[in-house]
Amino acid sequence: MTAPAPTPAPTPAPVPLPAPMTAVSPLLTRLAAERATGALLRDRGTLFLEDGRIVHAESPATPGLDVLLTTGGGLAPERWREALDRAGARRQVARFLVDSGGLAGGELEICHLAAIFDAAFFALSPGSGPSRFRRGATHWIGSVRSVPAAAVERETRRRRELLDAVWPYPLLDTAPVVPRPAAPGQTVTPRQRLLLHHADGVRTPADLAWVLGRPAFHTLLDVRRLAAAGLVDTPHAAAPAPAAEPLPDWMTQAQSPDVALLRRLRDALEASL
Amino acid sequence: MANVETALKEATTSIEGAIGAALVDYGSGMALGTIGGGKDLDLAVAAAGNTDVVRAKVRTMEMLGLQDDIEDILITLGGQYHLIRLLKGRGATGFFLYLALDRGRANLAMARHQLKKIENELEI
Repeated sequence: MTAPAPTPAPTPAPVPLPAPMTAVSPLLTRLAAERATGALLRDRGTLFLEDGRIVHAESPATPGLDVLLTTGGGLAPERWREALDRAGARRQVARFLVDSGGLAGGELEICHLAAIFDAAFFALSPGSGPSRFRRGATHWIGSVRSVPAAAVERETRRRRELLDAVWPYPLLDTAPVVPRPAAPGQTVTPRQRLLLHHADGVRTPADLAWVLGRPAFHTLLDVRRLAAAGLVDTPHAAAPAPAAEPLPDWMTQAQSPDVALLRRLRDALEASL
Repeated sequence: MANVETALKEATTSIEGAIGAALVDYGSGMALGTIGGGKDLDLAVAAAGNTDVVRAKVRTMEMLGLQDDIEDILITLGGQYHLIRLLKGRGATGFFLYLALDRGRANLAMARHQLKKIENELEI
């Protein structure tokens, strides 16, 4: 064995930044730094900013604040419609709901925060497409509470990691939820029982979120937990078609028959007849 | 009307020995609001971890067939008390208040009583 020639100290390979350090959305980080006001639009949702802080968010993938407050909470749908009619144009729907006595301030604030973080999770998801910013745009809900953009990014990242820590099968998030029978002695919590009750094998987690009036992320998390416990089917991606392994030439390439041998064989057979 | 921030502020100022408090969304494990804590007690981490505590207890009650609700959960450490109070509002089916107390300075009975009062003021 020969000694290796002395080499200069290797230059360290560029270390990739640990995942938590990468920005969920570089544009959002920039807008927060310049204290921008407006709407950040992406395919899967919109974030509304005021002075660089997030004041509202909505996503087609999640039940809105109205669903959380009416289906999920105690607000009568008429009260919500009344607030829209009377205060929507003034962009003070939230304040109207509380001032008119339809809703307690604490409940509004909590549901609004839940709606922001829920919509932001989907709006900032990796497949959400390019971002555009409409400067100056505001939302008719009005001002409730604002959260720093960094807090929303941090929570979005935590939620992604939590889903995969519970049961790393992202297909569950979009596939119909198919319940499985519980094992003998296996129990579910009242929350889970309600979800399973509405899981008819057709509804996806997002559909269930609407039916239950719960945030969509909460439903994704519940479904992953149920799947991990074996109470919901885990869909598996169709197995990839086995890659055609090329056979060696000596197997595939036809060899010319040994004509001389065949002739002798035929002659011998004829002679013995 | 008390909002989340004022309710939490009241928890830490009016309750003797309070180190930190958080209002936690049980469905996601996220703290909707925090106060105090500091570098010795990361309330965001505490929020997520204590969600598992609550879920474990809910599941255990289900296994025992207990038809009842959890009012609060007390965890006693060597130097601290951790109090978890589940909120029972009409829309609040998934939130809890989390309070960390210095065991040397806190009056546990008083703290539980005051936390209950803060829940009522939170109006959810």
